[in-house]
This record gives sequence, C-alpha cells and structure tokens, in this order.
Amino acid sequence: MTADLTDGAAAAAAAPDPDEAQRAIEYCYEQGWSDGLPLVPASKPLVDAFLATTDKDPGEIIGSLEQVGRDVTVYLAAVNAAMAGCKPEYFPVVLAAFEALMRERAARGGGFQSTSGPAPLIVVNGPVRKELGFNTAGGAFGPGFRPNMTIPRAIGLIVRNAFGIHPHVLEQATQGVPGRWSICIAENEEESPWEPFAENGGVGGGVSAVSATLTRTMEFVDNRHTPDHEDVLRDFQDTIGRIGSLIFPQTSVALVLCPEHAQMFAAAGMSKADVQNWLIERCGRTGREFRLAGKGNVPRKPDGTFAGEDEVHRILSGPRQIPVIVAGAKNAAISMVVRIFGEWSGTAVPVVEKK
Amino acid sequence: MPNAILDPTGSVKSKAAAAAAPRAPRPASLRGKRVGLLINTKQNARPFLEEVGRLLEDKYGVTVTKRTKVNFAVPEPDEVIKEMAAENDVIVTGVGDCGSCSAAAAADGVVFEAAGVPVAAIITDSFKPTADAMAELRGAPGYKYATTAHPVAVLTEDQVKERAAQVLDDVVALLTDPAGAASREAGA
Repeated sequence: MTADLTDGAAAAAAAPDPDEAQRAIEYCYEQGWSDGLPLVPASKPLVDAFLATTDKDPGEIIGSLEQVGRDVTVYLAAVNAAMAGCKPEYFPVVLAAFEALMRERAARGGGFQSTSGPAPLIVVNGPVRKELGFNTAGGAFGPGFRPNMTIPRAIGLIVRNAFGIHPHVLEQATQGVPGRWSICIAENEEESPWEPFAENGGVGGGVSAVSATLTRTMEFVDNRHTPDHEDVLRDFQDTIGRIGSLIFPQTSVALVLCPEHAQMFAAAGMSKADVQNWLIERCGRTGREFRLAGKGNVPRKPDGTFAGEDEVHRILSGPRQIPVIVAGAKNAAISMVVRIFGEWSGTAVPVVEKK
Repeated sequence: MPNAILDPTGSVKSKAAAAAAPRAPRPASLRGKRVGLLINTKQNARPFLEEVGRLLEDKYGVTVTKRTKVNFAVPEPDEVIKEMAAENDVIVTGVGDCGSCSAAAAADGVVFEAAGVPVAAIITDSFKPTADAMAELRGAPGYKYATTAHPVAVLTEDQVKERAAQVLDDVVALLTDPAGAASREAGA
C-alpha cells in the first residue's frame, strides 16, 4: 500500500506538467497558427533536432509563392513540421514531400487559394516506409499512424503559416476536400505486383522517394465478385468518366488500387502501363452526354477540335494523366479513383538524409 | 529560463509589401483616354470587359485595347505591366470570380497603380475578403475596386451586358478624380 503511493508520486513527478502543456497549446491557438487541432509547441531544441537530420542550410529557400511574396525556408519548414507532431527523423520526408508538391504547376499557381480547395496526395516509397513506421497496409488513407498523419499536416501548416494562406482570406475553398492535409500513402510495395510508384517518377533502385500531387476528391470502386478483369476495368472506366468532375477537355486521375485489384490485373498479364492504356483508350463520354449535362463546351479543345455528338471524347491523354499506386490491405477488392487537380508532375523526389 | 515557443510564420513581411504602394493620380475625366482591358480568361470575363469598354467608347470617346492575362491565378509578369502601363492611360481588369483570380486582380491593380496607371479591378462580391487581403499584402490596405454580384459565369449575353452597364459608374469613379485633378492643375 505504502509502496504503491510512493510509486504513484514518483510517476507524477517524472511526468510532464499537463497544465503547462495546455497553456503552451492555447498560446499557439491564440497566435493563429493552428489548423484547428492542437499544435506541439516548438522550442529551439526540438527544431534543432529536425534541422540536424538534413544537410540543407536552415536559411535555404525551398519554396516561394510569387503572388503572396512569401518564401519557405528549411527552418520554417522545420518549425511547422515540429508543430504538426512530426518526429525529427520524419523531416527529410517532409522536405521531399514539399519539394514534390511544389513541382506541381497548380500548387505554384493558385491551388492553395482555389475555390476547389484541393488536398495534397502524398505517396511514399522505399525503405523509409518501414524505418519510420508508416502504415503500408490497411486503412491507407488513414488515420492511426503518426508519420502518415503528421507529414501532410506539416505541409498544411507550412501553407498556412509560412505562405500566410488562411481559410476565408487568401484561401477561398467553397467546400474543400475531406482529408485535406491528411492524405499520405505509403505504397504497399510488398503486395504490389508491379514496380514501385517512385520508379514511374524516375526514382528507382529501391531509393526512398516521395511523389505528390493535388486532389479534388476520390471515389471508391467496390468490385469484389467479378472474375473477369475487363469487367472490373469497365467499372473503373465508368467512375473515371463522371461528367461532374470534368471541366476541361482533358482530366487526370490517380488510381489507388488495392492489392487484390492490382494482382487480378497482373494475373491477367497486364503491366501497369497496360492498365493505363486500356483506360486511356476508353475513358470519356459522348458529346451528347456532355451537352445534356450542360457541359457541351467542355470537350471542345482549345484549338476548336470537337469529335462530335456521338463520338466518345477521350479525357485521358497519357500515362501521366493516370498514375497508378497500390495501397491498402489485401482483404477486399475496393480501390479508389482520385481526381487530380491540374496534372501530376510525373516526378518523384528522393528522400535525402544527412550524410 | 524556459525555452520560447517558436513562431512558424517567420514573422517576415511579405516581399510583395516591401513598401507602401502609391495610388496613381487620376485624370479629371476619361474623355479621349486610352483604356486597356486586361481580361483574365474566366467565363464571361471577355464579354463583360468588352461591354464596359464599348460603353466607355460611347460615353467618353476612349480608345480601347485588349489583352489576355498570361495566367489568371497569379499577377501579371513585369514586362506585361510595363507594356500596358506605357500604352494606356487607365486599365480595367477582371472578372475576379475565384480564389486566386480575384486576389490576382487586386494584386495587378496595386502594381499598375505603382506604375502610375489608375486601375478599376472588377471582382464578384463573394471574393472581397481575399481581394482585400491581397491588397493589404501588397502594401495597399483599403485598395478600392468595383464589385458585381456573384456569379458572373452563368449569365447570358444580355445579362452580362446589363451587369457591365450597372458597374460602369463605379468603374468611372475609380478611374477619375475631377476635384483632385482640378486642384493639382490649380497648384501647378
């Protein structure tokens, strides 16, 4: 009995002071730094630990938004990553994710200010997935895993704090996207029948790398009772061709395939490129279908080309318009069609740790 | 001494707001002036601005030239600003009807003003907060622009003309300063 009391008192003495922590958290809210959730108050020793994971100079500018005249330095990225709840060792992944995102024309343009309120879709490949404890299996879109949740949040805080783009002010999302600043997939390379996604972005050889694009939302394709892979592809074709999301003659979608669908296509002898090409050749709607939805001008290309009322206007122009990623558990044939905002840069960024 | 909580904003002033942006002096009237239309490519922006231009021709005998924005989402490049400022006495730009393009319309306005050219930027009323924020960021808090009701993109041709006519007085008021111009002349 006495021993129990003593142990309890010792534990209380060793534990952090919750009242102090709460004051620090509230302080961060009062400064307007938070995305709505509590922030980890960043101190110099914590941020120094982040900066120690990279050879980059803290003052190096890693992103600029010309229209708001603001720059992001390595130091500011580190403060925001710390506040987002990242561990210091995640920082090279944050830097790679930010670089990958800033390669997107839409991100450098008005993406973060846009009424469409797009969310970054971040994809991690390579050994860093296991080293840092990313979720590579079920529940790929989260939540539940610290690196998957905090790394995209760090990007969101950088946009808010370092670029100064706040909701209702310079950020004008009409409704925004569920999961904005929280989508970070670690590809299920172990159960994918194909090359890792980073290889499609030019980083092969098992090097850890991050790819990123912006998405306007996603829709599931649940097809788990069909033995014929072409039937399943037709199901994807239907979802990809939804007129509601089409505003230009061409569009881009990412296919986030569950292992079961990916393995089904591979078992039918299809490479990733075969799946892409099958869909590129077929996805689209007729001119009439566009017109009846009030979008008769959408399939008219800038040069005036219009295939006609009865022709199918193809909406995907090449493999860069339909990146394919494998993620999730091998427990049901459920995949996701992710609508890309703008166009994926087609590149991956290696994760560079301190030498 | 406890550690300080670090500031994630960098506490830096935007480079865009390095100096308080001046507002260009206004002419007393638009009579015979050169009006540049900077069309941002959004749906109905072209017919809207063209109708504003046509009404100004009718009413004030202005000459109108048109230019399309390079990228509606961001401010115009310096060389475009320079060229348009050299070729026009006043500029009308718009129609800002989205998050980035309304901010860009305000930013273009502030930059042209600094180059000595009065601007009437037209945005839809939904985007006042973002236009105001961008103007402040660019060193021109309270920068004045004209508004029209949101949305513009769905309007018919006739409705666009009606809107252009409705906003015309505001555009003229933004571009001219009869009293100020008179006193400048009196002082000169």
